[in-house]
Amino acid sequence: MKKKMMSMMLALGLLASALAGCGGGGNSQSASQNSANQNAQSQSAAQGGETGADPGVTSGETKRLVWGDTTFNAENGEPDINPHRDSSGWACIRYGVGETLFRFSDAMEIEPWLAQSYENVDELTWKITLRDDVAFTSGRPMDGEAVKECLEDLVAEHERAAGDLQIAEITAEGQTVTIRTEEPVPALINFLADPYGCIIDMQAGVTEDGIVSGTGPYRAVSLVTDTSLELVKNENYWNGEPKIDEITVRTITDGDTLTMALQSGEIDAAYGMPYASYPLFENDNYTFTGCATSRVFFGAMNFESEITSDPAVRKAIAMGIDKESFVETLLDGNGYPAAGVYPDSFTFGGDAVTTETYDPEGAAEILEEAGWVDTDGDGIREKDGQPLTLRWLTYPSRQELPLLAEAAQATLGAIGFDVQINNTADHNRIRTDTGAWDIYFSAMVTAPTGDPEYFFAYHCLDSSSNNDGHYHSDRLEELAGQMTQTFDADRRGELAVEMQQVILDDNAYVFCSHLRMSMISKSSVAGLAAHPCDYYEITADLDIADSSAR
Amino acid sequence: MRRNAGSSAAAGIARKRKKNHTKLRLIIFGILVLALLFTAVFAEHICPYDPNRQDLANALQAPSLAHPFGTDRYGRDMLSRVIAGSQTSIFSALALVAIISVGGTVIGVSCGYFGGIPDTVVMRISDICLAFPGLVFAMAIAAVLNGGVRNAVLALAVVSWPKYSRIARSQTLAVRQAEYISAARLAGDSPFQVIFRHILPNILGPVLVTAMLDIGTMMMEIAGLSFLGLGAQPPTAEWGSMMSGGRSMLQTYPWVVLTPGLAIFVSVALFNLLGDTVRDSMDSGNA
Repeated sequence: MKKKMMSMMLALGLLASALAGCGGGGNSQSASQNSANQNAQSQSAAQGGETGADPGVTSGETKRLVWGDTTFNAENGEPDINPHRDSSGWACIRYGVGETLFRFSDAMEIEPWLAQSYENVDELTWKITLRDDVAFTSGRPMDGEAVKECLEDLVAEHERAAGDLQIAEITAEGQTVTIRTEEPVPALINFLADPYGCIIDMQAGVTEDGIVSGTGPYRAVSLVTDTSLELVKNENYWNGEPKIDEITVRTITDGDTLTMALQSGEIDAAYGMPYASYPLFENDNYTFTGCATSRVFFGAMNFESEITSDPAVRKAIAMGIDKESFVETLLDGNGYPAAGVYPDSFTFGGDAVTTETYDPEGAAEILEEAGWVDTDGDGIREKDGQPLTLRWLTYPSRQELPLLAEAAQATLGAIGFDVQINNTADHNRIRTDTGAWDIYFSAMVTAPTGDPEYFFAYHCLDSSSNNDGHYHSDRLEELAGQMTQTFDADRRGELAVEMQQVILDDNAYVFCSHLRMSMISKSSVAGLAAHPCDYYEITADLDIADSSAR
Repeated sequence: MRRNAGSSAAAGIARKRKKNHTKLRLIIFGILVLALLFTAVFAEHICPYDPNRQDLANALQAPSLAHPFGTDRYGRDMLSRVIAGSQTSIFSALALVAIISVGGTVIGVSCGYFGGIPDTVVMRISDICLAFPGLVFAMAIAAVLNGGVRNAVLALAVVSWPKYSRIARSQTLAVRQAEYISAARLAGDSPFQVIFRHILPNILGPVLVTAMLDIGTMMMEIAGLSFLGLGAQPPTAEWGSMMSGGRSMLQTYPWVVLTPGLAIFVSVALFNLLGDTVRDSMDSGNA
């Protein structure tokens, strides 16, 4: 009996200490009590104090930095850094290994990078002049032949790139590359700035682990899928001297683990921090860098479903989601309510289009008029004996998607929908089965190349690979046909507005919010700047203060 | 001689005191568990607010007089959700234990009494179930069945029944050869009469104690499956899924995680203590 009392007391004591530990929410240091010595050390370093000879901070002559990222994993299509494979190009460009021929400015305008200039000889021919001072980390100079080999391998290996670029033939001569396309590709230069366009040395090839030789400020030395990537400084970098000697990129898929890793000092900078953890870092020990991106949370309606093939139901859904409150409360202000496909920062984005606004009474009226009435008084509308059940498919890896689902479940529930959420990592299989869902909410970067064609080509056309809900509009097909023939950027913008308005008038898609992306680092980290296209993270500018000197 | 008498008297007093003590504990824990069940049964009437009503303007309020347990990120009242969650968590645990103890016992007694090939086959199946780590096996089944509290209960039932069939079978084997069973048979009782009138009453004790002690464990396992997203689906209030939903706020808004956690802790502890006490009282009853 005594023993039992003792164990009860112990359990209570443990609980009390847990409560006490978590109570001091404002003090990020107290929340992560570490027994590990190294953690304690780097924590004090982060506080602006003493020398810390461990990951992250500088040790002696060697500057080291540890980067934590939630997205660098196979589930996300980034098993390695080979740009010709799936979405691995993102990892290649983000971690400073690869660079593309063209890049985006902060205003999302295209500018030369590894290329010096380009000339659009005719509708089908592009002549690109390359810089002559660039070499791969393998030692080989980057010339026309190397770029030709790389792009040829790209279109052979990467289905989406092949579809985008429509390359018929590439010829190389010295520092120039001439690309001839099968059909006019007005956005070719934009497509070459996509992460898959990282120029790598094909003679050095791709190692078994997926390591490539790029031209970036850092050279990859080892890679373990879903675990980590080790980088060292590229001593012969063409565009300035990288400031850090060794960088480790760690895959930390769970947001809470990432939070604690940054708090404990295990990592120095983090990408993909859950918004809920932001308050822990809003103090002098950490720095935020953020900007609006074209990543949008949006829902695609299933036109094969008996529920969402009804235009009144689609309209009611569009009117029944409270975007403002979602952004303000559940995204904690880290986003912008969306009207159409593109955010405000694009000339063809933001208020250029109009859509339904949150109006629950109006939505209820529309449903009523369309014959959806709650006859049995259970709060759920029916029509011809069929209840208004909305099967909402979404996935957990974007942490705020399930929150959006649950918020919409309440607001749509109030107008008579029975929203059944299927929040599963298996969404990519389920979305191809039109009998299994009514609305599919996902997150996507709608204009990764700054050009509007991508979203429609990917999602809304008969030929789209991801038109899971089988949406079809004659008008949209016609406009899309025009866009593929249009080279003038302003005209493309006008077409983009018209095309958005078509899908919004059909309520075929509901765009909820564009996201603000932030990276958080210890205050000792400098030169980290968020970019609207979300591609450039580790650059030659990235630095970490030598804490022993401070 | 005298000393012997004295010590046996002392032992008798000690035993009596212990018995009284056990009885007192039985009453106290019994009342507390009844209070818990009462809360679960009348959850809808006790909740101060609608547990599913969202109010984003009032999200993440710290505990106050209006919301003693605070509010979650959707502005739902945590106290109401914890109370409503008791219904899901406690009833599903009770239903689960009822299913596995009754089902397992029926299977075990039948196997023990009739023996033969069916006995061998069923016991090998139960060996297979026991060979897997329970929760991992249940996760696999729950994932195939596609979430939901009912499916979580089903998944756990599939992996948890062998324990009861093992106990029931071994107890049945022990009493099967007893003289009173033979007498009943000779008197012309059918096998079912023998099982229900003579075997079951004699083997029920251990099964009952195991079941009592299992309620807490099963509650934890259901909460575990829900925490992993394989149990209760939104917006159903369930302690495990509430903890999972709030886990990223452990440092910033701890009440969202700690209040359902506390509810699990308290109710599991109560059911375990009651189970312990029932066992003690049965032991002393047998002594």
